[in-house]
Amino acid sequence: MSKRVGIIGAAVTPFKGRWQEKTYYELAQWATREACKDAQVSIHDVESAFYGIYNDIFERTCIPEHAIHGLLGMQNKFGTRISTGGATGAYTMSAAHAYLAAGRFKTALVLGVEKATDCFDFASMSATPEVIKTIGWSGDSFFEQPIGWTASDSYAEVVLAYMDEHPGDLKPETTAEISAQLSRQVRTNPYAQRQFDQVTREEVMNSRLVVYPFRELEICVYSEGAAALILAEEETALAISRNTGKPVVWITGLGEANEHSFVGKNHKIMSRIMSDYYASRRAYEMAGIKDPTQSIQIVELHDAFVHQLEISMAEFGLVPPGRADALIDEGLMTPGGKYLVNPCGGLIYCGHAVGASNVMSAWSARNELLARGLHTALVHGTGSTIAQYTACLILEC
Amino acid sequence: MKTGTGKVIPYEYIPDEGSEIETVDGRQYLIANDAMYTFFKRTKGELSPFFLALRDEKRLLGCKCVECGLVRVPPFLTHCPDCNFASTKLLEVEQVGILNSTAPITYFATSLFQHMAPYGRGRVIFRGADTALSVNLYTTTGILVPGILNKGTEVKLIFRTNRIGEMTDVFCVPTSELSRDQVEKRGLEESEIDWESPVEPNVLDASAEDTSVYREALKEIKSIVEEMNRNDRARKDIAGWRRDIAVKARGGQFALIIDERGIRIEEKELSAPDFIMVSQDLRVLLDGLAYRGAITDSVINKRLWISKNPEFTTIFKLDRMARSVARSKKD
Repeated sequence: MSKRVGIIGAAVTPFKGRWQEKTYYELAQWATREACKDAQVSIHDVESAFYGIYNDIFERTCIPEHAIHGLLGMQNKFGTRISTGGATGAYTMSAAHAYLAAGRFKTALVLGVEKATDCFDFASMSATPEVIKTIGWSGDSFFEQPIGWTASDSYAEVVLAYMDEHPGDLKPETTAEISAQLSRQVRTNPYAQRQFDQVTREEVMNSRLVVYPFRELEICVYSEGAAALILAEEETALAISRNTGKPVVWITGLGEANEHSFVGKNHKIMSRIMSDYYASRRAYEMAGIKDPTQSIQIVELHDAFVHQLEISMAEFGLVPPGRADALIDEGLMTPGGKYLVNPCGGLIYCGHAVGASNVMSAWSARNELLARGLHTALVHGTGSTIAQYTACLILEC
Repeated sequence: MKTGTGKVIPYEYIPDEGSEIETVDGRQYLIANDAMYTFFKRTKGELSPFFLALRDEKRLLGCKCVECGLVRVPPFLTHCPDCNFASTKLLEVEQVGILNSTAPITYFATSLFQHMAPYGRGRVIFRGADTALSVNLYTTTGILVPGILNKGTEVKLIFRTNRIGEMTDVFCVPTSELSRDQVEKRGLEESEIDWESPVEPNVLDASAEDTSVYREALKEIKSIVEEMNRNDRARKDIAGWRRDIAVKARGGQFALIIDERGIRIEEKELSAPDFIMVSQDLRVLLDGLAYRGAITDSVINKRLWISKNPEFTTIFKLDRMARSVARSKKD
C-alpha cells in the first residue's frame, strides 16, 4: 500500500525579470535554504532531490542540476531532474510523490529553478525575442521549428480552435477582465515580478497584439527565480508538523496526461485540452473527488495565457465548456466567488520562471489553504506544443 | 549539395566578444557576451522521401496505414501505433486543402523570424489526408490580419523557387487569391503568384483645420517624447537601438529619431530614413505614444502604414515605451 505524502515546507525566491545579482546556483540554494527553514529541518535530513529545470539553454548548460546538487548539500544522495516544458514543476512534484509514496525515501526536496533572461538578441537589442527563440527549440525540429513555431502560436492554435467551436465564449472583455483581476490579486504577493503592475480592463484591451489572438497583457511574463518544497511521507510529515506547529498539506491526488503532438483524425483534437481533462480526472479519482465543483476551493492554474486559463477551467469541469466566460459573467472567480483562482497573481503577474512556476503555484496554494482555513486546492501545470502536457495535483489540509 | 541563400547563422545575429558591468543597488555585476552553438549534418532518415519530394519533385507525400487506411501528412511514422504497428506506405496527396482551425498570426516573432513577421502558421488538411500539416500561411494582399485565415478556408500549397529540403520550401495562400489555373496547377511556385507590393499611401491635402490638428498633435507628441526621455524604464526599452523614422501625416511631416541620446523629434525631412510611417491623422500615432491604444494595432488595422514589415520591431519598442511611462506613473 502506498504511503501518504505531504508538504511540510515551502519557499520561493522573488521572481524577477532579470537577476543580474544571482546565478541559478544561488537562486537554487536560496529557495532550498528557505524551504528547510520553513520546515525546520536540516538539509542533512532530506534524503532525495527532484529538480524541475525546463530548458538547458536557459541555464547555458546541459544537465544543469549537476552543479547544484552538491551546493545544496545533497552530495552522495539521490538526485534526478524532470523536464516537461511548462509542466516541468508539476511533473517534478509528481515524481517526488511517487518515490515517497513507494517508500523509497522518507523526505524529498522538490526544487524548481530557471534563469531565462540571460538570453539576449543582439539584432533587436532586447531579451524577449531570444527567450522565445530558445523556447522555440522545444518545437518539432523536422516540421515546425523551421517555420517559426513558438509556444505562443501553438497555444493560440488551441485557443482559436476552441473559439471556432464556441464563438460566443472567450470574449475580449472577459479575458481582459480576468487579466485585470489577476493584476489586483498579485498585489499581496511580495515575491511577484509585477506586484505593483495593476491594470484596467481597458489597458488590457488596448495592449498590443503579440500573437493573434493574444495581447501583451494576456500573456505570462518570463521570469527568473526558484521555488522549493520539502515533502515527507506520512509518519515523518506528522512528526515534523508537531515540531513546526504547521499542519501538513497532503497531496491526495495526482494525474498526468500527454496528448499527441500531431493534429487530425485519431490525433490531437485542436479545440480541446484533453491533457487537462484526463489529468484532472485522474487526480480527482485518486483524491476521491466525485464532484469537483463542490470540492475544489482554490485553483492555482498555469495561466500561460488568459484564454487558456478559461479553457483549462472548463476542462477541469469547474465551468461548462463553451461557457467559460461564466468565470466572470457569473462571478465564479471574482472576489467572493466560488473559486479562488491564482491568488498569487498567476504566471501572468507573479511571473513564469518555467521550472519553478508550478512549484511556486503549490507554495501559493499551501499558503492559502493554511491562511484561509480552506480544505482543497487544485494545482496545475501545462506545457509543450499545443498544450500537449498536463500534470495536476490535489492538495488538502 | 543543394545550398540555400544564406548562412546557417546570419552574421547580424553574432555579437562581438566582450563583457560589461551592470550596477544594481550600488554593486557591480559582470555580464559577458556569449553563445551556445552547435552545427549539424542533420539526418532526415525515414523522412527523406517527404523532403526530397518537396525539394526535387514539388510533390506532397503522406503515408497510409495498410490496416486502418489512415493517411498521415506529413508521413511522420513508418508503422501505425493504432494498428499494433502495422506498416504504412507512402502516397501522394493533393496540394489543395482546408485549414483545420483558424490560424494564429505572429506579429512579435522570435529573433530568428523577425524578418518574416507578420506570418501565419496553421494546420492544413490536404485533400486525401486525415491529419494536418503545419505550414506557413500568407496572404498576397499585404499585411496578414485576422479574418483571412479561418477554419475551413481553402488554401493552396506554394513552392519556393529555391528549395533545400526543409519545411521552408513550401507555404500556403488562400485559393480565393489565386486564379483557377493556379489552384489546379501542381507544383505552383511563388514566382507565379502576383504579390501586392507595398505602396506608400498618398497623404491628402490638408485644410487649415487639418494643419491645426497636426500642429496640436505634434506638440503633444513632443511633450510625450520628452517624458519618455526622462523615464529610465522607457530609455531601457530603446537601449542600443538606432532608427531614423520619417513620419508623414495630413498637415506635415517630421523625423522621429532613436539613438544613443534617446528619442527625439526633429521637424525636418529625412533623405534616407530607415523606414516611413504614414497616417492621414497624426493623432493615431499620438494615441499610441500616449498609451491610449497600441501602435501595433494601428498598423494591423491599417490606420498607420509602415514601409517595412520587419520594423514591427521598432513599433513594439515604441508601444513598450508608452507602457513603461504609464507603469512608472503607477509606482
